[in-house]
Amino acid sequence: MRENEQIKLLFHGICYENNIQAYNELYVSLCARLIHFSASIVSSFHLAEEIVSDVFLTLWQKRNDLLHVQNPVVYLYVSTKNLSLNTLQQQKRHQHHSLDDINTDILAIAPDAENGMVSAEVSQKIERAIRCLPARCQLIFRLIKQDRLSYREVAELLNISTKTVDAQLTIAVKKISQAIRFDLSDETAQTYLRIDS
Amino acid sequence: MDQEKLYTLLAREMAGLLTEDEAVDLQQLLQQYPDASYIREVFAQNWVPAGKQYTGSQVQQLLEKHQLRMETLTEAPVIEVPAKRRIWGWYAGIAASVLVLLAVGAWWWHSSPSEKPAPLAQMVTEKRMRSQVLLPDGTRVWLNAGSKLDYPKQFAAHTPREVTLEGEAFFVVTADAERPFRVHTKTFQVRVLGTSFNIRAYPQEDSAVTSLVQGAVEVVLKNADNQVVSLKPNEKLTVPVLQVAAETHTVAAPAPMVIYKSKLSPVQDSVLTETAWVQNKLAFKHLELEKVAVMLEEWYGVEIGFKDNRKKQLYFSGVFESESLEQVLNALETTLSFTWHKDAAGKIWIQ
Repeated sequence: MRENEQIKLLFHGICYENNIQAYNELYVSLCARLIHFSASIVSSFHLAEEIVSDVFLTLWQKRNDLLHVQNPVVYLYVSTKNLSLNTLQQQKRHQHHSLDDINTDILAIAPDAENGMVSAEVSQKIERAIRCLPARCQLIFRLIKQDRLSYREVAELLNISTKTVDAQLTIAVKKISQAIRFDLSDETAQTYLRIDS
Repeated sequence: MDQEKLYTLLAREMAGLLTEDEAVDLQQLLQQYPDASYIREVFAQNWVPAGKQYTGSQVQQLLEKHQLRMETLTEAPVIEVPAKRRIWGWYAGIAASVLVLLAVGAWWWHSSPSEKPAPLAQMVTEKRMRSQVLLPDGTRVWLNAGSKLDYPKQFAAHTPREVTLEGEAFFVVTADAERPFRVHTKTFQVRVLGTSFNIRAYPQEDSAVTSLVQGAVEVVLKNADNQVVSLKPNEKLTVPVLQVAAETHTVAAPAPMVIYKSKLSPVQDSVLTETAWVQNKLAFKHLELEKVAVMLEEWYGVEIGFKDNRKKQLYFSGVFESESLEQVLNALETTLSFTWHKDAAGKIWIQ
């Protein structure tokens, strides 16, 4: 987890040394991920950009109070989540908002068809399979595959157990695998084995 | 059933937390389900958002926009924050930090790279002080106590980036194939592309060490006909420093230099003794108490003496972070192999 270490060093530089360069670097390395996450909650990239900008402003203002933060990545995701939900709450008063109402269009990811390994057709199949998953499952898949969070980080962010994360991710992997025709029965598998030997 | 397990293992592999046992299971299942290798490959690929994506230059624009907001915020009269803009109204509570931000903002603009031809810059750390500097090419340098780094305020195009170090520093070098990065010390020169490594070359010590964490470096020895030694990650090179003797009359054959390569020493998860100081940690592994004492002297700015010289040869390992000197000494003392006390002048004595 080199990336995580790098982020911790940057965070350290911000909190302990008021290092504005480290702050800028941290912004550059995380803003796109956080904006996508926020946009899935508030359904607007424009608003999400402002929210993430606010999250980073708060980070700078409170930097000297954040020395206890163990995991900067989780801290920033949780801040983004809270501010996104609060913003929604303010916009549409008297409505309760939770991560169950996320806009999954914003979360969809698929293999990069340009690198040759995966054809555009397979890539589309995968994207369709992901869009069919429950919202929460899509979010978990995205956070792990694309944002490279760990089980524990996702569990902390979404207030669920790591077991649930494991189970949800397994469902996602299963559905995607099946979509690209990985539905070999044990019997067919045996045939393969016989050919092999 | 097996298939379910296969999905779970593929999921865990994707999340980077497959255990060794699970890796073995996965290999077996992959033999059972040959098609799954393709699936596995697909998950190992780089994926991209299906919808909106931010390119590098867009991210840069976002940063500029963010910086602008930060500045506007510091200039805006706080009392007149328009209430109808809810997003901005949120700032009302943070008036107190405006001054801080103003100061930072000013420093920020002043420190942005200027067009003027850049002379050398120097960064010096005193005893007990550590510091960090971002070089103009994005390379980050942590400077340990009692060290000095000379670097140009601007690196020229198409020529190697050269800096000079006395003391200890940890480098995370920004890759730039056109401009290799070089660190000069009295004993050797280190040539790198993009990489992270530690150099310890204090003039008062009898050896100089380069420790490579990531990437690749070449060490060019100055006193051995410019011999070149390449290092791989997790290797370090220790080079004795030839003390330029004050007496110039004898040019007897100098003692043969013993240059040796060894592995970096992890003391705990992800804590290397060579680079622990970067994270504000004091770490040593199987180190003589005599050398531990020197580390403690540097770290806490105290003097430590031995009343019993045999104690110098005791070996200790440990990682300390926020402990006081007394706590560290007490922890080491629990091994019952020595005792310590402080004299009236504040000097620590080990016996």
